[in-house]
Amino acid sequence: MSTGVTDPTTAAAPSQRTGDRVRAIAWQVVRKGWFIALLIFLWWLVTAAGWVDPYKLPSPGTVFSTLGTLFTERALLDDLGATLLRLVEGWAIGVAAGVFLGILTGGTAFLEDGIRPVIAGLQSVPTIAFLPLAILWFGFNGTAVLVITAFGTFKPMAIATYGAMHQVNPTLMMAGRAMGARGLFLQRTLIFPAIVPNLVTGLKMSWAFAWRALMAAEIVVTGAQGLGGVLELGREIGAIDVVMAVIIVILVVGLVTEQLLFTRLERWVNRRWGLEGAR
Amino acid sequence: MAAALRVLDVTKTYARSDMPALAPTSFEVQPGEFVSLVGPSGCGKSTLLGMIAGLLAPDTGIVEALGEPVTGPGDGRAIVFQDAALFPWLTLERNVEYGLRAHGMPKAERREKVADALRMVHLDHVAGKHPYELSGGMRQRASIARALVLEPQILLMDEPFSALDAQTRVVLQDEVQRIWLETQPAVVFVTHNLIEAAFLSDTVHLLSSSPGRIIKTYDIDIPRPRDESDPALLDLRHDMLERLRAEVDDAARRRAETAEVTA
Repeated sequence: MSTGVTDPTTAAAPSQRTGDRVRAIAWQVVRKGWFIALLIFLWWLVTAAGWVDPYKLPSPGTVFSTLGTLFTERALLDDLGATLLRLVEGWAIGVAAGVFLGILTGGTAFLEDGIRPVIAGLQSVPTIAFLPLAILWFGFNGTAVLVITAFGTFKPMAIATYGAMHQVNPTLMMAGRAMGARGLFLQRTLIFPAIVPNLVTGLKMSWAFAWRALMAAEIVVTGAQGLGGVLELGREIGAIDVVMAVIIVILVVGLVTEQLLFTRLERWVNRRWGLEGAR
Repeated sequence: MAAALRVLDVTKTYARSDMPALAPTSFEVQPGEFVSLVGPSGCGKSTLLGMIAGLLAPDTGIVEALGEPVTGPGDGRAIVFQDAALFPWLTLERNVEYGLRAHGMPKAERREKVADALRMVHLDHVAGKHPYELSGGMRQRASIARALVLEPQILLMDEPFSALDAQTRVVLQDEVQRIWLETQPAVVFVTHNLIEAAFLSDTVHLLSSSPGRIIKTYDIDIPRPRDESDPALLDLRHDMLERLRAEVDDAARRRAETAEVTA
């Protein structure tokens, strides 16, 4: 991983160290940012040269100013807040259910044989296909969207959990059993902590699934406040700059959670679980 | 005095193998006796240890520990694994404490015993560290402490030093000798290192493979503490090597004969 770790061997004069550090960060920005910059430039070029109709692809300037307007005038922040709240709620419910079922099935062969193929089958169906059912059961409202988000989270989380249960190091299991650990104590103090690194991967994956299911559902269930509703509104009134502005918001949220939250969590867990260097 | 451990005609054949991993094998371990099972890979020594630990069921025969038939892992027996098998998410202290927690011992009592065990293996200064922060030798010491803290009457060690470098290995052999002299559990020690077995043990069972079985038993009465470079140990090692070589030649001859018959 290429982060700004200072090498102790280069510990020269402090001022020189700071200079090196600034240069290192600048280099990182260039390395990771050049392609984005190129894309935005091409986007600008295409629109500025008039090669495409502005109603099909507005210029970067238009999109960014629309983004500003959306935040100040349409209270996009509220939509973003509503969406994020729903995402976190649905995800948390799905994670809890997935981990619970995963541990239950992973620990009992009879349950696993029956339940595992069903979940694997459900996972092969895009979650959004269940939206009509959810609307029928819970109404054309935020609840249906929440249920779909939770369901979209639940499937990959359950799969990740029982997969992890089968990967617990057999020597650790033997060691635990030899020391007298049994039943619930064994589950709580050995199996659960042993699967944590895999669970973190599951959390990350299920977050991505939750995000997708949520966006798809929000676009359909427009009554509820949220980013999906704004996207759909933009399409309806033919304001493609609104659509693109919302896409940028979604993209930033995804990047921020991925980079700041999950990557850090993963790194911490891998260190703590002694897995560093093993990946 | 009743034997601490009695192994009676146990056998084991693994699925997908026509050769028994272990032919009928019997031996006893007296309380406080240090017994090694030594031999090449595939001689059934680890299988034997697994059955004594109660982690593996024999096909036939019986294992009795402290007068009771072994049906699973149990009190009075503790095991040290080859790769330490510490729980990576726990500090050393918490690792050593684990077995006591599993037995439901109150916290105050646990703390004292854990401190004693860590002191015994000279790890009290790193009690709060996680396994990934320690060397292989330290990890293996910790796993010895984790077994000792349960005050086992029978201590089982499955090639505990085979993953360590030569220097660390010698240091830990001395440590095990000292700890055993202090605490006097019955020990069953599995290794493929002949000199290590001879150095540590009262009794060495030499095993051979195909099928796994005991081919010779050595009683070693060199006074302790012993020195690794004692010529008597080298003589013993020489004799064991000769035995194993004769075994290998025999097996090769037998295989050649069968090949002729089938051809």
